[in-house]
Amino acid sequence: MSNFAMEWYLIAIIVFTGFYCMLASRSIVRQLIGLEIVSKGAMLAVISAGALTGNLVFAQALVLTMIVIEVVVVAAGLALLVKNFRVHGSADIWKLDGLKG
Amino acid sequence: MTTHNLLFVLAAVFALWAVMAKKLLTSAIMLALVSVAVSLIFFDFSAPWAGVFELSVCAGLITVLFIGAVSLIRADEDKRPENRAFAYALPLAAAVFAIAAWFYLPPFFEELAAGRQMAAGGGTIGTALWGLRRPDLLGQVLMLAAGVFVIKSVFPRRTENK
Repeated sequence: MSNFAMEWYLIAIIVFTGFYCMLASRSIVRQLIGLEIVSKGAMLAVISAGALTGNLVFAQALVLTMIVIEVVVVAAGLALLVKNFRVHGSADIWKLDGLKG
Repeated sequence: MTTHNLLFVLAAVFALWAVMAKKLLTSAIMLALVSVAVSLIFFDFSAPWAGVFELSVCAGLITVLFIGAVSLIRADEDKRPENRAFAYALPLAAAVFAIAAWFYLPPFFEELAAGRQMAAGGGTIGTALWGLRRPDLLGQVLMLAAGVFVIKSVFPRRTENK
Protein backbone atom coordinates (compact mmCIF):
# COMPACT_ATOMS: atom_id res chain seq x y z
CA MET A 1 0.00 0.00 0.00
CA SER A 2 1.29 3.46 -0.83
CA ASN A 3 1.98 6.00 1.86
CA PHE A 4 -0.88 8.20 0.63
CA ALA A 5 -3.46 5.40 0.87
CA MET A 6 -2.26 4.52 4.38
CA GLU A 7 -2.50 8.17 5.48
CA TRP A 8 -6.00 8.56 4.11
CA TYR A 9 -7.10 5.26 5.67
CA LEU A 10 -6.02 6.56 9.10
CA ILE A 11 -7.68 9.91 8.36
CA ALA A 12 -10.91 8.01 7.58
CA ILE A 13 -10.76 6.42 11.04
CA ILE A 14 -10.26 9.85 12.68
CA VAL A 15 -13.22 11.28 10.72
CA PHE A 16 -15.35 8.26 11.64
CA THR A 17 -14.61 8.87 15.33
CA GLY A 18 -15.70 12.49 15.02
CA PHE A 19 -18.92 11.65 13.18
CA TYR A 20 -19.72 8.92 15.70
CA CYS A 21 -19.28 11.41 18.54
CA MET A 22 -21.57 13.91 16.81
CA LEU A 23 -24.22 11.28 16.11
CA ALA A 24 -24.24 9.45 19.42
CA SER A 25 -23.68 12.06 22.11
CA ARG A 26 -26.35 14.34 23.48
CA SER A 27 -24.04 16.86 25.09
CA ILE A 28 -23.48 20.04 23.08
CA VAL A 29 -19.84 20.20 24.18
CA ARG A 30 -19.27 16.71 22.79
CA GLN A 31 -20.99 17.70 19.54
CA LEU A 32 -18.45 20.50 19.16
CA ILE A 33 -15.58 18.15 20.08
CA GLY A 34 -16.78 15.77 17.35
CA LEU A 35 -16.89 18.67 14.89
CA GLU A 36 -13.32 19.58 15.85
CA ILE A 37 -12.13 16.01 15.28
CA VAL A 38 -13.80 15.89 11.85
CA SER A 39 -12.21 19.19 10.87
CA LYS A 40 -8.79 17.93 12.02
CA GLY A 41 -9.27 14.97 9.66
CA ALA A 42 -10.22 17.34 6.84
CA MET A 43 -7.11 19.47 7.44
CA LEU A 44 -4.90 16.40 7.40
CA ALA A 45 -6.52 15.34 4.12
CA VAL A 46 -5.88 18.75 2.54
CA ILE A 47 -2.21 18.80 3.59
CA SER A 48 -1.72 15.17 2.55
CA ALA A 49 -3.20 15.87 -0.89
CA GLY A 50 -1.02 18.98 -1.17
CA ALA A 51 2.06 16.92 -0.40
CA LEU A 52 1.01 14.31 -2.98
CA THR A 53 0.65 16.83 -5.80
CA GLY A 54 3.65 18.91 -4.76
CA ASN A 55 1.54 21.93 -3.92
CA LEU A 56 2.01 22.32 -0.17
CA VAL A 57 2.07 26.11 -0.39
CA PHE A 58 -1.55 26.39 -1.51
CA ALA A 59 -2.61 23.61 0.85
CA GLN A 60 -1.12 25.55 3.76
CA ALA A 61 -2.89 28.75 2.70
CA LEU A 62 -6.18 26.81 2.62
CA VAL A 63 -5.52 25.24 6.02
CA LEU A 64 -4.84 28.64 7.58
CA THR A 65 -8.26 29.79 6.36
CA MET A 66 -9.83 26.61 7.73
CA ILE A 67 -8.26 27.15 11.15
CA VAL A 68 -9.64 30.70 11.38
CA ILE A 69 -13.13 29.53 10.40
CA GLU A 70 -12.91 26.66 12.89
CA VAL A 71 -12.06 29.01 15.75
CA VAL A 72 -14.97 31.30 14.94
CA VAL A 73 -17.41 28.39 14.66
CA VAL A 74 -16.29 26.91 17.98
CA ALA A 75 -16.36 30.28 19.75
CA ALA A 76 -19.89 30.99 18.47
CA GLY A 77 -21.08 27.46 19.35
CA LEU A 78 -19.67 27.63 22.88
CA ALA A 79 -21.15 31.12 23.40
CA LEU A 80 -24.58 29.80 22.38
CA LEU A 81 -24.08 26.79 24.67
CA VAL A 82 -23.25 28.93 27.71
CA LYS A 83 -26.15 31.29 27.00
CA ASN A 84 -28.53 28.33 26.61
CA PHE A 85 -27.22 26.86 29.86
CA ARG A 86 -27.88 30.12 31.68
CA VAL A 87 -31.42 30.40 30.30
CA HIS A 88 -32.58 26.76 30.44
CA GLY A 89 -30.06 25.18 32.83
CA SER A 90 -29.19 22.37 30.49
CA ALA A 91 -26.51 21.46 27.94
CA ASP A 92 -28.50 18.70 26.25
CA ILE A 93 -29.36 18.93 22.54
CA TRP A 94 -32.75 17.30 23.10
CA LYS A 95 -33.66 20.13 25.47
CA LEU A 96 -33.13 22.73 22.72
CA ASP A 97 -36.86 22.95 22.03
CA GLY A 98 -37.53 26.45 23.29
CA LEU A 99 -38.93 27.53 19.90
CA LYS A 100 -41.14 24.44 19.46
CA GLY A 101 -44.70 25.38 18.56
CA MET B 1 5.68 1.50 10.56
CA THR B 2 7.25 4.88 10.06
CA THR B 3 7.14 7.77 12.52
CA HIS B 4 4.81 9.49 10.12
CA ASN B 5 2.14 6.79 10.29
CA LEU B 6 2.74 6.45 14.02
CA LEU B 7 1.75 10.11 14.45
CA PHE B 8 -1.46 9.46 12.52
CA VAL B 9 -2.22 6.49 14.79
CA LEU B 10 -1.48 8.68 17.82
CA ALA B 11 -3.95 11.31 16.57
CA ALA B 12 -6.60 8.60 16.06
CA VAL B 13 -6.00 7.19 19.56
CA PHE B 14 -6.29 10.63 21.16
CA ALA B 15 -9.48 11.26 19.15
CA LEU B 16 -10.98 7.99 20.46
CA TRP B 17 -9.93 8.95 23.98
CA ALA B 18 -11.49 12.41 23.61
CA VAL B 19 -14.82 10.85 22.65
CA MET B 20 -14.71 8.14 25.33
CA ALA B 21 -13.55 10.26 28.27
CA LYS B 22 -16.06 10.47 31.08
CA LYS B 23 -15.29 14.03 32.08
CA LEU B 24 -15.70 16.86 29.60
CA LEU B 25 -12.48 18.42 30.88
CA THR B 26 -10.54 15.28 29.93
CA SER B 27 -12.21 15.38 26.52
CA ALA B 28 -11.05 18.97 26.00
CA ILE B 29 -7.48 18.12 27.01
CA MET B 30 -7.44 15.06 24.72
CA LEU B 31 -8.67 17.28 21.89
CA ALA B 32 -5.64 19.51 22.53
CA LEU B 33 -3.41 16.44 22.28
CA VAL B 34 -5.09 15.54 18.95
CA SER B 35 -4.16 19.05 17.79
CA VAL B 36 -0.58 18.58 18.96
CA ALA B 37 -0.33 15.28 17.05
CA VAL B 38 -1.85 16.90 13.95
CA SER B 39 0.61 19.81 14.12
CA LEU B 40 3.51 17.35 14.43
CA ILE B 41 2.18 15.62 11.30
CA PHE B 42 2.14 19.00 9.53
CA PHE B 43 5.76 19.63 10.52
CA ASP B 44 6.58 16.14 9.27
CA PHE B 45 4.94 16.98 5.93
CA SER B 46 7.25 20.06 5.88
CA ALA B 47 4.27 22.37 6.18
CA PRO B 48 5.56 24.53 9.06
CA TRP B 49 3.08 27.41 8.74
CA ALA B 50 0.07 25.15 9.07
CA GLY B 51 1.81 23.38 11.97
CA VAL B 52 2.51 26.60 13.83
CA PHE B 53 -1.06 27.85 13.40
CA GLU B 54 -2.49 24.48 14.42
CA LEU B 55 -0.32 24.38 17.52
CA SER B 56 -0.98 27.94 18.65
CA VAL B 57 -4.63 28.34 17.66
CA CYS B 58 -6.15 24.86 17.85
CA ALA B 59 -4.09 23.42 20.70
CA GLY B 60 -4.01 26.74 22.56
CA LEU B 61 -6.95 29.02 21.94
CA ILE B 62 -9.65 26.41 21.27
CA THR B 63 -8.62 24.40 24.34
CA VAL B 64 -8.90 27.53 26.47
CA LEU B 65 -12.36 28.20 25.02
CA PHE B 66 -13.47 24.62 25.69
CA ILE B 67 -12.12 24.57 29.26
CA GLY B 68 -13.79 27.91 29.97
CA ALA B 69 -17.13 26.68 28.67
CA VAL B 70 -16.85 23.36 30.52
CA SER B 71 -16.07 25.12 33.80
CA LEU B 72 -19.11 27.36 33.27
CA ILE B 73 -21.47 24.39 32.82
CA ARG B 74 -19.81 22.05 35.31
CA ALA B 75 -22.88 21.94 37.56
CA ASP B 76 -24.88 20.30 34.79
CA GLU B 77 -22.30 17.58 34.23
CA ASP B 78 -22.39 16.55 37.89
CA LYS B 79 -26.16 16.86 38.23
CA ARG B 80 -27.22 14.99 35.09
CA PRO B 81 -24.47 12.61 33.97
CA GLU B 82 -24.79 11.51 30.35
CA ASN B 83 -25.65 7.95 29.36
CA ARG B 84 -22.24 6.41 28.64
CA ALA B 85 -23.37 3.45 26.53
CA PHE B 86 -22.38 5.17 23.29
CA ALA B 87 -18.82 5.72 24.53
CA TYR B 88 -18.36 2.09 25.49
CA ALA B 89 -19.63 1.00 22.05
CA LEU B 90 -17.15 3.27 20.24
CA PRO B 91 -14.09 0.94 20.24
CA LEU B 92 -16.25 -1.83 18.76
CA ALA B 93 -17.76 0.47 16.13
CA ALA B 94 -14.32 1.89 15.26
CA ALA B 95 -12.85 -1.61 14.98
CA VAL B 96 -15.69 -2.74 12.68
CA PHE B 97 -15.23 0.37 10.54
CA ALA B 98 -11.44 -0.06 10.44
CA ILE B 99 -11.68 -3.69 9.34
CA ALA B 100 -14.37 -3.02 6.73
CA ALA B 101 -12.54 0.06 5.44
CA TRP B 102 -9.26 -1.88 5.17
CA PHE B 103 -10.70 -3.86 2.26
CA TYR B 104 -12.50 -1.06 0.42
CA LEU B 105 -10.83 2.30 1.05
CA PRO B 106 -7.10 1.75 0.23
CA PRO B 107 -7.79 0.58 -3.36
CA PHE B 108 -10.00 3.64 -3.83
CA PHE B 109 -7.31 5.94 -2.44
CA GLU B 110 -4.69 4.28 -4.67
CA GLU B 111 -6.92 5.07 -7.63
CA LEU B 112 -7.24 8.68 -6.46
CA ALA B 113 -3.47 8.97 -6.07
CA ALA B 114 -2.91 7.50 -9.54
CA GLY B 115 -5.12 10.18 -11.11
CA ARG B 116 -3.27 13.09 -9.53
CA GLN B 117 -2.07 16.09 -11.50
CA MET B 118 1.23 17.49 -10.36
CA ALA B 119 1.06 21.20 -9.66
CA ALA B 120 3.66 23.71 -10.72
CA GLY B 121 4.47 24.17 -7.05
CA GLY B 122 7.13 26.61 -6.00
CA GLY B 123 6.61 30.02 -4.49
CA THR B 124 6.45 30.89 -0.84
CA ILE B 125 3.59 30.91 1.60
CA GLY B 126 3.77 34.71 1.53
CA THR B 127 3.15 34.85 -2.22
CA ALA B 128 0.35 32.31 -1.95
CA LEU B 129 -1.38 33.99 0.97
CA TRP B 130 -0.86 37.69 0.20
CA GLY B 131 -0.69 37.57 -3.59
CA LEU B 132 -2.76 34.74 -4.95
CA ARG B 133 -5.29 34.05 -2.20
CA ARG B 134 -5.99 37.61 -1.07
CA PRO B 135 -9.81 37.19 -1.17
CA ASP B 136 -9.38 34.42 1.42
CA LEU B 137 -7.87 36.97 3.81
CA LEU B 138 -10.87 39.23 3.31
CA GLY B 139 -13.10 36.25 4.08
CA GLN B 140 -11.10 35.51 7.23
CA VAL B 141 -11.43 39.08 8.46
CA LEU B 142 -15.19 39.02 7.77
CA MET B 143 -15.47 35.67 9.56
CA LEU B 144 -13.68 37.03 12.64
CA ALA B 145 -15.93 40.10 12.60
CA ALA B 146 -18.97 37.80 12.38
CA GLY B 147 -17.67 35.79 15.37
CA VAL B 148 -17.20 38.93 17.44
CA PHE B 149 -20.69 40.08 16.45
CA VAL B 150 -22.22 36.72 17.47
CA ILE B 151 -20.57 36.84 20.90
CA LYS B 152 -21.55 40.48 21.35
CA SER B 153 -25.18 39.71 20.54
CA VAL B 154 -25.31 36.53 22.64
CA PHE B 155 -23.92 38.27 25.71
CA PRO B 156 -25.29 41.82 25.58
CA ARG B 157 -24.28 44.38 28.16
CA ARG B 158 -26.72 44.41 31.04
CA THR B 159 -28.69 47.61 31.33
CA GLU B 160 -30.39 48.76 34.49
CA ASN B 161 -34.17 48.72 34.34
CA LYS B 162 -35.34 52.10 35.46
